[in-house]
Amino acid sequence: MPVSSAFLLAALLLSGCIGGGSGNRVLRVSGSTTLLPVAEKAAQEFMAGNPGVDVSVNGGGSSAGIKAVGEGMADVGMSSRDVKPDDFAQYPGLKVFAVARDGIAVIVNPSNSVSSLTLEQVRGIYNGSYADWGEVGGSGGQIVLVGRDSTSGTREFFTGAVMRGGGYAPAMLEKNSNGGVQQTVSQTPGAIGYVGLGFAGSGVKAVGISANRTVVYPTVAAVLSREYPVSRDLYLVTNGEPDGLESAFIGFLLGPQGQELVGEEGFVPLR
Amino acid sequence: MEGARRGKRNRLLEFLVERALFASALFSAVAVAFIILFLFRESLPIFLGPGLLDFVLGAAWNPVGSPPLFGALPLVAGTALVTLGAMVFAIPLGVATAVFVSELSPKGWKPLLKLCVEILAGVPSVVYGLFGLVVLTDWIRVSFAVPTGESWLAGSVLLGVMSLPTIISVSEDAISSVLREHKEASLSLGATKWQTIWRVVLPSARSGITAAVVLGMGRAIGETMAVMMVTGNAAVIPSPITNVFSPVRTITGTLGIEMGEVAFGSMHYSALFGLAVLLFVIVLVVNSAALFLLRHRQAGAFGAGRGMVSRAKSFLSGNMVLLAGLAVVALAGMSSRALAASLLVAFALLYLLLTRLRRQWTEKIAFGAMGASFLLVACALAVIIYYVFSNGLPAITPEFLSGFPGNSGRAGGILPAIIGTVYLVAGAIAIALPLGVGAAVYLAEYSRGGRIVSVVRAGIDNLNGVPSIVFGLFGFAFLVIFLKLGVSLLAGQLTLALMVLPTIIRTSEEAIKSVPNSFREGSLALGATKWQTVWRVVLPPSVPGILTGVILGMGRAAGETAPIMFTAAVFSQRALPSSELEPVMALPYHIYLLATSVPGAAGNAYGAALVLLVLVLGMYGFTALIRAGFSGRRNW
Repeated sequence: MPVSSAFLLAALLLSGCIGGGSGNRVLRVSGSTTLLPVAEKAAQEFMAGNPGVDVSVNGGGSSAGIKAVGEGMADVGMSSRDVKPDDFAQYPGLKVFAVARDGIAVIVNPSNSVSSLTLEQVRGIYNGSYADWGEVGGSGGQIVLVGRDSTSGTREFFTGAVMRGGGYAPAMLEKNSNGGVQQTVSQTPGAIGYVGLGFAGSGVKAVGISANRTVVYPTVAAVLSREYPVSRDLYLVTNGEPDGLESAFIGFLLGPQGQELVGEEGFVPLR
Repeated sequence: MEGARRGKRNRLLEFLVERALFASALFSAVAVAFIILFLFRESLPIFLGPGLLDFVLGAAWNPVGSPPLFGALPLVAGTALVTLGAMVFAIPLGVATAVFVSELSPKGWKPLLKLCVEILAGVPSVVYGLFGLVVLTDWIRVSFAVPTGESWLAGSVLLGVMSLPTIISVSEDAISSVLREHKEASLSLGATKWQTIWRVVLPSARSGITAAVVLGMGRAIGETMAVMMVTGNAAVIPSPITNVFSPVRTITGTLGIEMGEVAFGSMHYSALFGLAVLLFVIVLVVNSAALFLLRHRQAGAFGAGRGMVSRAKSFLSGNMVLLAGLAVVALAGMSSRALAASLLVAFALLYLLLTRLRRQWTEKIAFGAMGASFLLVACALAVIIYYVFSNGLPAITPEFLSGFPGNSGRAGGILPAIIGTVYLVAGAIAIALPLGVGAAVYLAEYSRGGRIVSVVRAGIDNLNGVPSIVFGLFGFAFLVIFLKLGVSLLAGQLTLALMVLPTIIRTSEEAIKSVPNSFREGSLALGATKWQTVWRVVLPPSVPGILTGVILGMGRAAGETAPIMFTAAVFSQRALPSSELEPVMALPYHIYLLATSVPGAAGNAYGAALVLLVLVLGMYGFTALIRAGFSGRRNW
């Protein structure tokens, strides 16, 4: 009896001490995996400058972020796509703030000899018209398509900007993050993928997009000058006018320190 | 006067206690009913809109196409193929290992071998996934010269290994419980040991072994994380259907990948809940079949090998094996001639071996095969543990264990993930323990059979079979959204509590039932009330057994990813959670994200996996110690 009741007591006590609050103010940020690394670093610096504030950052994707903000499950959403009329219809109070620009880089394994593709070729690869690297100027070998899951903002943007709304070949491997695509492409010689500019660095090769005999590589300069054809804005979203803490965080990201972080993570600062 | 008042108070207490215990027993049944109802409620639009048939038999899954397509057929096919592939090698390997452990292992080794199997069962799903993603898929790509290793084959290999512990331990139970007299009779008639095993032991244990296989299948069908990490998740039916190198997408993988991001209340959201209902029904049917087989084991054991009917049956089943073998060869023939030829030769050799060779030789070869099976299983365990340790140890530093993550988890430590996991597990147990022990006491001490008790038992059995991802969906839809708890520690603890409840009930009930009846009678004869007897006499000696259940539950709760990834876990956190309504980091989710979303974080992923593995296996080892320690001290 003493053993069992002591055990019960211990279990209850343990759960009890978790319940006590420390009174910190909490800011919940969630959404696009593209913006995730920027938001994570911004959160760290923001908390360093604002003691007594907890910022929790979570991925989940753009749609999830907008949904979470609309449902009140997060305070600030991250989105790598435009907020659509549908979203506003569901959550009329949404306020949208552009915080960075991003290009979508088409990436291949470093061992791949292909260094540039036209947008038509990329579209043909992803809709299954081309199945072998030999057909698009490479040295042969089956193309392994790597894409994003169906609720990704990056995929949605890619579908509009590159696929022109068309469908994908069904054999495309689906990854639920930019990092997942980068990792698979870096490990798989025949793979092709698309990721935000910040993920086009290590272990993979970004191919240039060629149009009218000029090749534009996905670089910060090319995205800023809008020469690189596949680029977009990245947003933070709040439900209603941002309150004190929300607006302080958004302000931080738009300020000099935040924009420097944007650049460090491989995205394009707005100013 | 005083005595009468005390008697009255006691009667009231007895009454209240019995009601409370009954309520906790009923909880599981109510929870299962509630989960089913809630899943149905959320999936109603997809069943009412496109219709059940279009949903289940629709040939394309493309939820963001125009128009969106919600056909579950490729996903059902993916689940079926991955599970079948896993069974092709897990069944022979598992049953042979069970025979080895039960009948052939050297004296005194059996507990050690069983511990090996338990460790295999204790490795968290996400750790298998990490291994699969980093090592297995790459190995498949290079060895078979295919464009990518993320495939049906990779999923099947992982699932096979993961369902082995279930198959081995349930088969081993069935084989061990074959009556000794039967074996002795066979041996005394001059049969060799192998002939006895093949002709007497295995046929007698047949229904138990079948149940083991079916339970293993149930485990494989419901598995999420490992499968999702290695199958590529392309929603295609392999073409040709035998192409094991094709990527596939399972029902669980779809839920795992799409649930976190889907727009709440959309048709896509509803379709995902439709998938969860489908998964629930499939697993329910499979597990019910296994339970049916296990409960009717006795009948099968004595009927086997007797009379015309059973002879006809065994003839039929012999032919079934032959037909199945031919079907495998034919299927293999479609993808590769060489493979088909080698399979044919293997079958021919096996046939010769079983019928033509001298029986001493047959026995040697058969025993060799059983031993080799066990070695293979042990090797799988050793390889996985070796990889986790050798890659994880370099990451383990004091800073890693006590620091906060930085640079998306590539740098810094995992302290908040460790703490988060501890909070999740502690909370889940604090909720599940009183409910579970209450239910167990009611079932063991108070229930007198009848319809309500069978409903309660069915509830517990079914709750035990619910795939972990379904708990995750339920927790998300009900706790996070409907009750507005948000993604929070509390939502995760409640979800995990539901998941570990059946384990705690079962082990506690067994422990309580193993207390001899004479103890109860002695206490009652001295005038103690029923509750006094239970509280003072029955529960104290049951504590080690209950503790075993609790720790097993803790191990399971600590290692699971699917139930917490939509309900409680976040990617990063700078401060430790300070309230039940805050989200937390958790070790398994952290490993999953590092492995799949953060390139260049493999070292830290292995480090975190090592910490999780040590944590979980430590708990399992602790239960083994408790069992060893207390079984020696029992002297009734």
